[in-house]
This record gives sequence, structure tokens and C-alpha cells, in this order.
Amino acid sequence: MIFGLALDGLLRKKGRNLLTMSGVLIGVFALTLIVALGQGLSHAVTDTVASSDNLRQIGLTGGMGIELSNDPADVRIEGEMDDDRRERLLRAAINRRQIRQWSGRRVNEIDDAAIEKLSKLPHVESITPVIIERYQLQLDTQGKKYETPASLSIGVDVGRKRYEERLIAGRYFSGPQADEVILHEYLLYKWGLLTSNDYESVLGRKVKLSSIISEQTDPMQNAPEQMRAMMADMSDEEKKAMGVLLPRLMQQFGQFSGERQSVEREFTLVGVIREQIPGDVFNVIEDGNAVQTDVFLPQETARQLFLGSVVNRELGYPRALVLVDDAENAPAVEQALRDQGYTAFSVASVLEQVETMLTVITVIIAFLTGIALIVSTLGIVNTMITSVLERTREIGIFKAVGATNFQVMAVFLVESALIGFVGGLVGLGLAALATIPGDLIAKSIIADRAAVPYAGGVFVIPLWLALTGPALGTVTAVIAAILPARRASSIDPVKALRHD
Amino acid sequence: MSTPLVIGTRVTREYHLGGELVHALRGIDFEVAEGEFVALLGRSGSGKSTLLNLLGGLDRPTRGSIQVAGRELASMNAAELSLYRRTTIGFIFQSFNLVTSQRAWENVALPLVFQGVGRAERKRRALELLEQVGLGKRADHRPTQLSGGEQQRVAIARSLINKPRMLLCDEPTGNLDSNTSAQIMGLLRDAHTKGASLVMVTHDPALAASHAQRTLRMADGAFVDELPVPAVAGGGA
Repeated sequence: MIFGLALDGLLRKKGRNLLTMSGVLIGVFALTLIVALGQGLSHAVTDTVASSDNLRQIGLTGGMGIELSNDPADVRIEGEMDDDRRERLLRAAINRRQIRQWSGRRVNEIDDAAIEKLSKLPHVESITPVIIERYQLQLDTQGKKYETPASLSIGVDVGRKRYEERLIAGRYFSGPQADEVILHEYLLYKWGLLTSNDYESVLGRKVKLSSIISEQTDPMQNAPEQMRAMMADMSDEEKKAMGVLLPRLMQQFGQFSGERQSVEREFTLVGVIREQIPGDVFNVIEDGNAVQTDVFLPQETARQLFLGSVVNRELGYPRALVLVDDAENAPAVEQALRDQGYTAFSVASVLEQVETMLTVITVIIAFLTGIALIVSTLGIVNTMITSVLERTREIGIFKAVGATNFQVMAVFLVESALIGFVGGLVGLGLAALATIPGDLIAKSIIADRAAVPYAGGVFVIPLWLALTGPALGTVTAVIAAILPARRASSIDPVKALRHD
Repeated sequence: MSTPLVIGTRVTREYHLGGELVHALRGIDFEVAEGEFVALLGRSGSGKSTLLNLLGGLDRPTRGSIQVAGRELASMNAAELSLYRRTTIGFIFQSFNLVTSQRAWENVALPLVFQGVGRAERKRRALELLEQVGLGKRADHRPTQLSGGEQQRVAIARSLINKPRMLLCDEPTGNLDSNTSAQIMGLLRDAHTKGASLVMVTHDPALAASHAQRTLRMADGAFVDELPVPAVAGGGA
């Protein structure tokens, strides 16, 4: 009824009302697109990491050992000895603890004893050391020899199917301690092995993994030029300290091994694994460590090989993966591990931070974009004031035939609401269309730059957002029309009927 | 004369125009009987249109009382006045006052829109009235596609759609030629015959004399005299 009159008023000035509508349209379009992007990014992060066991996993690395102190009372020197000697040994023990890291500060290591201790923390289901190490690799076939000077290897939990699902040739490990190796398709490609025949020719062959050993005998010879020049100016005492520190440092950063003891073992090549693709489950902590891995070993096999090195036995595992019984307990366990002096981060807490950040950014940008909508309300106010003025006589007629003030007001409010609703709906529609090329562009950027495969959309318009667009347009338009509509309702019908 | 439908007592209407107080109506008393056809005769500015607006509840008196069908208009609030206009009154203007963007039938049905009547029922009743005023075939035409006489017939149909007790006509033939005027007056007389009271503002003494049962002559906001009822006029009451 009133709707018909409002629609009639709207269609009478199509051009003007379309222009007014375009203001709402642009506002809702931009706002929807921005919020859809925020939503999409949030979903992308969540979808990528919230799948599988991600939210139950905590990455553990050696910490600053905040529970260890330099207080001699905390360090025990056993045995009968005089006080001077006890004092010296005590200082030595403290110094040796301090010298673990290049900064000279103490570190809490992850070794088997620590894993056993930490496994007893409440809600901890398991702690698995992450065994990542570089080895020299040799593969001998009849007449042909393949090798790489340094390939990254990782220990794989044989019980987990996710690696098995990526096999493209051969078979999976027969057991957690098997002397078997699976190689990445990329390594084989670098060796020129591409076809299934090529794979067949190497499957079942022996692969030799050996430690990367420096041929240098003088540890300092491998030090960078600048460092050696710097050391020339040092006092004897300083040089001595550096002589101890530097090889350890460089060992840790993989530049040099002062160790002469070689680890060397043979394994049977049983399978070929493919690269991760969109759709594969991505475990932030596990896979984040292993994106460049070419060599896959059963976890226990890898661990034994790793601990074959004296330095590794001394320094412990670089990282460990803590699995919590329930995702809800991850933050508490994360905190407990930190309290024990370790560095820990859970995907759940990172996710929370990322989502908070995304929300804040989205809200700020949405607010800025909302200014467009505010400007469009001024356009609506202007249009409605003009419309009321032009239709003064008509308002007089409405009143003469019995329209109440409220009904007159409603005609203009509904008219404005229609402008807002249609503008909002079209804005939403255009935003939805714009997400199609938007997603394509975003996907190509992700494919080019991101290490993590992601198959979903970057723009996501959930139902609430779809409803918000037209609703926001309508509410904005109605608010903008309140004053002009009140003015229309208060027009004196006698004067209105005389209006030209 | 039957029971008065309208009783006006010391009705005064004053307003300010350009800083000066204008006495549009100077405390007039009047009555309109149920089913009576009254003509208000006078020159421009004599107060006849002001009186018509007061009777129609479009305006309020500065002082005095107007009772229509036993109800005091001055004490009604805006919503009650709207209801009064919608159910008791039918307006017919000199300039037709049709909504140009609406079809003939939609104009006729306009009062029903504000009454909340559904579209189908509105159309049915509007077409019925358009038939009665001889515009059954022009129902879908817009005012700009109709002649002046046709537009006034649409306006009459509109004024009758709620079966009002009183029709208020402000120079209904003022913009029409004599032939068309006769047709329009015929329609108004039909409505009158069917029982509606009519108050018609005109400055044409002949028109008043030939149709009204009573003609009140106004000047300067007051009744000057009441012209005798011509022999040819009357009929309804």
C-alpha cells in the first residue's frame, strides 16, 4: 500500500535516485569487499592450521633456562675436596652452563632426560624430538652413482599416514627402526630421474648417509676472514675463549664441523614422496621445519643416526614436537613449558594473535571505508529533501484524502529505504562478483610466494555479511530520510494544496 | 430542515501574513443540515475557502466551535482529523488535485490506500466508481492523458469512494467549459440525491442558484446574506 506509493515516487525520478543509490552501492561494495577479505584471510589462516592436529601441537625449543641460576647454591659439586677447589669447580660448572649459546647466556637443552621430565606435565600426550640433520648422500646403482653434498633429512613418525599418502612410487617404511629411506621427487629430479622406470631403477638400492665433515684440521681456518682479522687484535685470553666458542657456534649454524668422528650408515631406498600440494594437511610446526627436506627416515632410525654425533649428543635435539591431549589445553601446556625455562609456541596462540590482528586491521579499514557510506547518506538527505519539496502538493492531496502524518512520513521513509536496500543489494552483488577475479589474483600470488599450499578463497562472504550489506544500506538510508520525512509529515495541507 | 450535520459557532480564523493580522473568518455561526446542498458565494478573499478547509478538518479555527455529526473538530488530534477526512469528508478541488504519476483508478482508490484496503479490493471499488462517472474505459490512463472534465470526474469518483456524509467542493467547475461544467454538476447532484450533504464554494451566482438549496453570500470573513432558495433548486434533502 504505502510501499506502492513509495515505489511510484522512486520510479518517477529514476536518474536522480539511481545516482543517490550509487552512493550506497559504492559504500556497501567497498565495505563488503574489505570485510570479506578480512574474513577470507582469517579463514585461510584457520583452515590452513586448524586442520589435523595443528591446534594440539606445540613447538618446543631450548630456552633461556630461567630456572637455572648462577647462584652457587643451585650447583652441586660432589666429593671430598678443600674449599678453594670446590669454589673453582663450582665456578667452572657455572661457566660451562653459560657457554651454551653464542650470546653467552645459558640455555635449557632438549635431550632425552628433558623429554622424559616434560612428558609428565599435565595434558601432555607425547613429546617427539624433531630430528632434522644434513647428510651427505650417495646412491649407487649399476653403473651410475648419484650424490649430493648436503641433503636435509627428517625423522618421520611411521605411524602417521600423512607421509604415506604422499608416496608416488615404492612403498612406505616397514617399521619405526627400519634401515629404510624415502626420497623426495625433487631430489630424484635433480639427479635426472623422472619416469616410473627411472624410479624402478633406483628403488631397492642402497643409499649411504654420512656426516658432513670438514677437511680442515685447524678449527679457525674455517672462520670468516673478518673474524680472523678481528681476532688478531685480541689478547691471548680472548683468543682462547674464542677458540672454544667459535667452533661450537659454527657447528650450530651448520658452517663448520670440527668433529672428526664420522657417522655413516646405509639404508634401502624404498619409496619416492611427492611435494605437498593444496589440499594436503599442513602442520605448521611439523611441516614448517621440513619444507626443504629431501630425505625421509623412520623417526627412531633418524634419532639413532642423529645421536651418533658427539656434538648432537652434547647439544641435544634442536626442537621437539609436543602433542597435547586437547586443543583447549594447548595454551596452558605452552605456559607450563615456558615456566620450565623452554621456548614454546603453540599454533593456537599464534592463531589467536593473527586473528586479533586481522580483526583490528579489518575494523580499522572497514571504518575508513564506512566514511563512503556516511557521505552517501548526505546524498540521500539531499535527494529526499528535494523529493519532499517537489511533492509538496501531492503531500497535501494525501492529507486531504485522509493520510495520517505517520503515513506521509512512511511513504518517504520507505522510498529512502528502497534506495538503501537496492543500493546495498547491488553493492553486495558486485562485491560478490569482484571476489571472483580477486580470488584468482590472490591465488596466483599465494602460488607464487607462499610456501604453504592453500586451496580455499581469500574473499569469504559469510551469511551474516551478505545480510549486513542490504541491511546497512537500508538502515543508513532510513536514518538519512528521517528529517526530510518528518518535514513532509508536518507540512500544512492547506498550503500544500496551493503549492505549484 | 433536518438535524444539522454541521454546527458552527462563532467560528473565527485569523492568521498572520507579512506581519499583519488577517481576519479570514470573523466569528460566524452556521449550520448545514444532513443531506443539504449549500453554496458559499463570494469574491476572492471573502473567507469561503477558509470555511471549507475548516469544515474539511484541513485547518483549525482560531476560536469558536465546529461540530460535525456531533463531534467537535477543534478537539480532535491530528490522527483523528485524518480519520475524519478519510471517512466523513470528500474533497473536490478546482484544480482537480490528482497525483499525476498514478493511473485514473489508482487516484480514485488513493483514500483506500491510507485505510489499508488491499489492492484487488481497491481496484474493484475504483473501477465501479469510474463506471458511474462514465470513465470505465479510461481507468488505466494517467491524469495527463485526460481532459479537464475527465480529470474532475476522476476527482469526484475519488471523493465518493468512502461514501462520505459530506462533499466539500471548492469551485469544482472553475476550470471547465460550460458543457463540461453541466456534466460535473450533474454528477454532484447525483451524489447529493444519494444522500450526501454538499458544501460548494463558487463565485458564480447562477451556478449556486441553479443547484444549491441554500446560498450563503460571504464578504470579508462574514456572511452577508442568505439568498432565497430558487424554485428549480433542491431535491435531495
